[in-house]
Amino acid sequence: MHNYRYTLKTLFKNRMMIFWTFAFPIILGTLFHLAFSNLEESEQLNTMPIAIVDNMEFQSNEALVSAFTAMSDETSEDPLFTIQYVDEEKAKALLKDEEIIGYVFVDASTHVMIKNNGVEQTVFKLICEEIIQSNEMINTMIEEKMAQVGNMHITDPTAMIEQIKQDVMERMQEETSYLNDTSSEHMSYVVIEFYTLIAMACLYGGMLGMFAVNCKLANMSHHGKRVAVSPTAKGKLIFTSVLAGYTAQLVGIALLFAFLVGVLHIDFGDNLPLITLLALVGSFAGLTIGIAIATLVKSNENMKAGIFIALTMLGCFLSGMMGVTMKYVVDTNLPFVNRINPAGLITDGFYALYYYETLDRYTMDMIALLLFSFVMIFISMFQLRRQRYDSI
Amino acid sequence: MEPVIEVKNLTKEYKKLKAVNDLSFEVQKGEILGLLGPNGSGKSTTINCILSLLKFSKGSIRIFGQEMKPNAYDIKRKIGVVFQEVAVFDELSVYDNIDYFCGLYVKDKKQRRQYIEDAIQLVGLEDFKKFLPKQLSGGLLRRLNIACGIAHKPSLIFLDEPTVAVDPQSRNNILDGIKTLRDQGATIVYTTHYMEEVELLCDRVIIIDKGQILASGTNDELKALANMEEKVTIETKHLRKEQFDYLQSLPNVLEATYQAHQLVIVYRQGNHNLSHLMEYFKQEQIQYDRMYSQRPTLNDVFLKLTGKELRD
Amino acid sequence: MTVFKTYCKVLTKCKWPILLYTVILIFFSAFNTQNNDTSTMFSATRPKIHIINLDENSDVSKHFITYLNDHSDIIDFDSEEAVSDALFYHKISCVITIPKNFGEDFYQGKDVHIDIKSTKDYQGSLIEMMLERYVKVATAYVSIFDDHHDLFQAIDQTLATEVETSIASSLDSDSLNKAALYFNFSNYCLVAGCVFVICMILTSFKSDHIRKRTIISSLNYKKYNRQLLLSNGVFTFVLWLFYIVLSILLVGNAMFTLHGLLYMLNSFVFAFCSLCLAFLIANLVKNKEAINGIVNVLALGSSFLCGAFVPMEMLPEGVLKAAHVLPSYWFIKNNETLKTLETLNTDTLQPIFINMLVIFAFSCLFIIISNIIAKKKRKIN
Repeated sequence: MHNYRYTLKTLFKNRMMIFWTFAFPIILGTLFHLAFSNLEESEQLNTMPIAIVDNMEFQSNEALVSAFTAMSDETSEDPLFTIQYVDEEKAKALLKDEEIIGYVFVDASTHVMIKNNGVEQTVFKLICEEIIQSNEMINTMIEEKMAQVGNMHITDPTAMIEQIKQDVMERMQEETSYLNDTSSEHMSYVVIEFYTLIAMACLYGGMLGMFAVNCKLANMSHHGKRVAVSPTAKGKLIFTSVLAGYTAQLVGIALLFAFLVGVLHIDFGDNLPLITLLALVGSFAGLTIGIAIATLVKSNENMKAGIFIALTMLGCFLSGMMGVTMKYVVDTNLPFVNRINPAGLITDGFYALYYYETLDRYTMDMIALLLFSFVMIFISMFQLRRQRYDSI
Repeated sequence: MEPVIEVKNLTKEYKKLKAVNDLSFEVQKGEILGLLGPNGSGKSTTINCILSLLKFSKGSIRIFGQEMKPNAYDIKRKIGVVFQEVAVFDELSVYDNIDYFCGLYVKDKKQRRQYIEDAIQLVGLEDFKKFLPKQLSGGLLRRLNIACGIAHKPSLIFLDEPTVAVDPQSRNNILDGIKTLRDQGATIVYTTHYMEEVELLCDRVIIIDKGQILASGTNDELKALANMEEKVTIETKHLRKEQFDYLQSLPNVLEATYQAHQLVIVYRQGNHNLSHLMEYFKQEQIQYDRMYSQRPTLNDVFLKLTGKELRD
Repeated sequence: MTVFKTYCKVLTKCKWPILLYTVILIFFSAFNTQNNDTSTMFSATRPKIHIINLDENSDVSKHFITYLNDHSDIIDFDSEEAVSDALFYHKISCVITIPKNFGEDFYQGKDVHIDIKSTKDYQGSLIEMMLERYVKVATAYVSIFDDHHDLFQAIDQTLATEVETSIASSLDSDSLNKAALYFNFSNYCLVAGCVFVICMILTSFKSDHIRKRTIISSLNYKKYNRQLLLSNGVFTFVLWLFYIVLSILLVGNAMFTLHGLLYMLNSFVFAFCSLCLAFLIANLVKNKEAINGIVNVLALGSSFLCGAFVPMEMLPEGVLKAAHVLPSYWFIKNNETLKTLETLNTDTLQPIFINMLVIFAFSCLFIIISNIIAKKKRKIN
């Protein structure tokens, strides 16, 4: 208890450590949030400025005129286009100055002029195509209908043609979709960034354990020598130190969670107990790495911290912190890498909770994490059992 | 009476280098034993072996009559160690640091509080209880380092060069503290390469070099080894050759030199060497500026034993 | 020269962080220049989809798949989990399920639906548009055409109608995009590398004991400061040069065009600004550990907020407004503007040079502030 209390006190007073394990993830999370909050929303379309060359051919094409009028209706909620009706010279000038993304030019056929390839340009082109295609549809249907009824007597051919036109136009503009959207609500891949962030925080937290243990090992620090000559059992000391490290770590993770959920409103799915469990196990894995480095690497504290940070960053990189695609690439091409990468496992666990409905994958991740932790502990124990050293 | 520490044939090898070579000695209760030797002579290694921090190749170590092992907690409870390096937590205040290390020995809180106060008083840090280590000067930091090591009132204390790079005031404070501890009944093992401290403090001295004991005994016994009793120095510009030759040929004179207007005569033994000399100078009417006599130092002993100075 | 030599010796101790930042830069650039086509260049690529056909026997679903195959890449996976993963990570844009009885319902004129799981991004929307269009046309025609062969032919014909598209721009937008991406990211490396290394070295030189020792030495203190300044300048220049060489290796010939030269000039101005920033921080902070934290927050912060990692146009407006107070914003803005500039003349380049002036103004500001601080500190001593 005595050692636990003081180790905790030491850890919380170490400003650098608190910065890296507590503040840094939160700062990074804020940055992620600021940078990514628009990423997925901006993938929805805004109103696009376009121009139409206002010539005879355009005016005589009823379908085009009515369709473009409908799509630029300013009274509607969000019109697709704002349209300037101009002559060709002006349209070219507008395009050059990037006032518009493209313009429509109608002669015998319909032309779309754009400056470069891009999302809005493609959508623009597709919509023009759709208008023309519905025109084509009307013609095809009239022709076929005429052919079918050709032999028969038609009371009112124009009425029939009008009827077909009406039908098609309605069909094209009707809102009802033929698609049955069963997409998961949990499709935001940006959350992966935040999951890797938690993974990072969990692992960074292990640094606390590392420093706590470091102070208790005679061959690692001067403090350790003092501790070693005292009559307190080594195992007990290490255990309470580790426990203190873990406590500090969990405080940090709890803060991070509170911040992510409370301030940034990151979606972690609904299963709170399992999320908590994953955070606990993840932190534990980080802790065991810390202990392993503390016992195995015989070097000064800065070197140890350096190795620790490098390892953690590599793990986070592989699990998608610097680009979510990375995780997928690694998962599909080198699956075993992210099976032994604790950052990957933690991230994947959160992902499984968020996206998958079953718990199979989550369970697998948890088992792998625990396995990893025990291997680390085993390695550390082997080193820790030594009571006397060859050199200090 | 049973010795407090009994080291027999201790040998410690780092690869090829023999850091400690077949070392045997005993420490009696209530004495201050000085381990004197130049840097790298094996003093710290010896202590680390005794404390069972280091593995050693050969030999046995008994403390309070029992074999010393890493988990010999009963023995450890009675030992206090002050290492060469300052080993305190930068994050904790002076009081908290002492409390932490003392708490590793003493579970009872009330008793511990008393012990900490005593330790703080002993090293004279009363005004700095709330300070953080980095706010302390080098000397004060050393004192804190000592307080951390002895707060639990051990009956056997190891002090490994506690006065390296310390201002004179702090040094005196530290040395006084050590004497106080001895007066309270503690046995002390004190390593240093400052012979003055050893002369001042230690009841018995062991001189170590290259992992081996060169000599051991009380101050006087060791000085006898230097095979001299007294060194007399006279500053004069007027000594003639035949007078110098006469002085050199006197009985008891081990060695005499006359260089840079300074006459140095080393006597093997004898009680009235200085007054005899003064009489001779008066009689010959030789003028001199100053004349003084010195007892031999441990440095002279070391010089005699190894042919090199204690401090390099 | 002594100062410079010592500077170089201290510098070699910092080789690992520099190497680290460089490796990250190379990796990120290489990785992203391969992957950036998803958002900006989408008409060039075909969306990738996965189809689950529960109505294998009907000819209309077969025809539907043929249509999809013409306009997208259909990808198969080993397991359901692999499909879900691929969808989540936008490896495929959607999963289409053709329901049972699709053909039957279709011919009977009943309402038909296609199940779709989409990523909801541009590619997903594109696929949705394609699907909607097919079903609209097909359901319209099925009421008129009796013969299946004629029906499919009519559908194909209608859907094949395209508008002629002309692209007006002649810019080599591909490599300019790459260049912009590279230089945007170099923001991180320049800030992190420059500030970290210079601060580390300066804190060594300026630590109390060494400073005292230098002041009492016979070397003129002003001359000493000048040499230190010069050494830092040389270091920054070499770092910049290194990143330029790297850009030529990664981006290629486009770097030798006028556009490329402007990119270089822009990054040079920014490198100078980083140098000034490094001076300021070295003057403000003495603790080496703290510098590590500050550098990371500063480099990551400015990179995230100004669009070095995430394209500028995707950042929220508020963030971009706030970013105006950071020199990185102007640097990255220049990169982005350069990418789209078709003709380079005094008119079009004016905003570019104005932005460079802003960066320069920031540099001056940093120098002034650090001088004020340095003076104050000297007085206290």
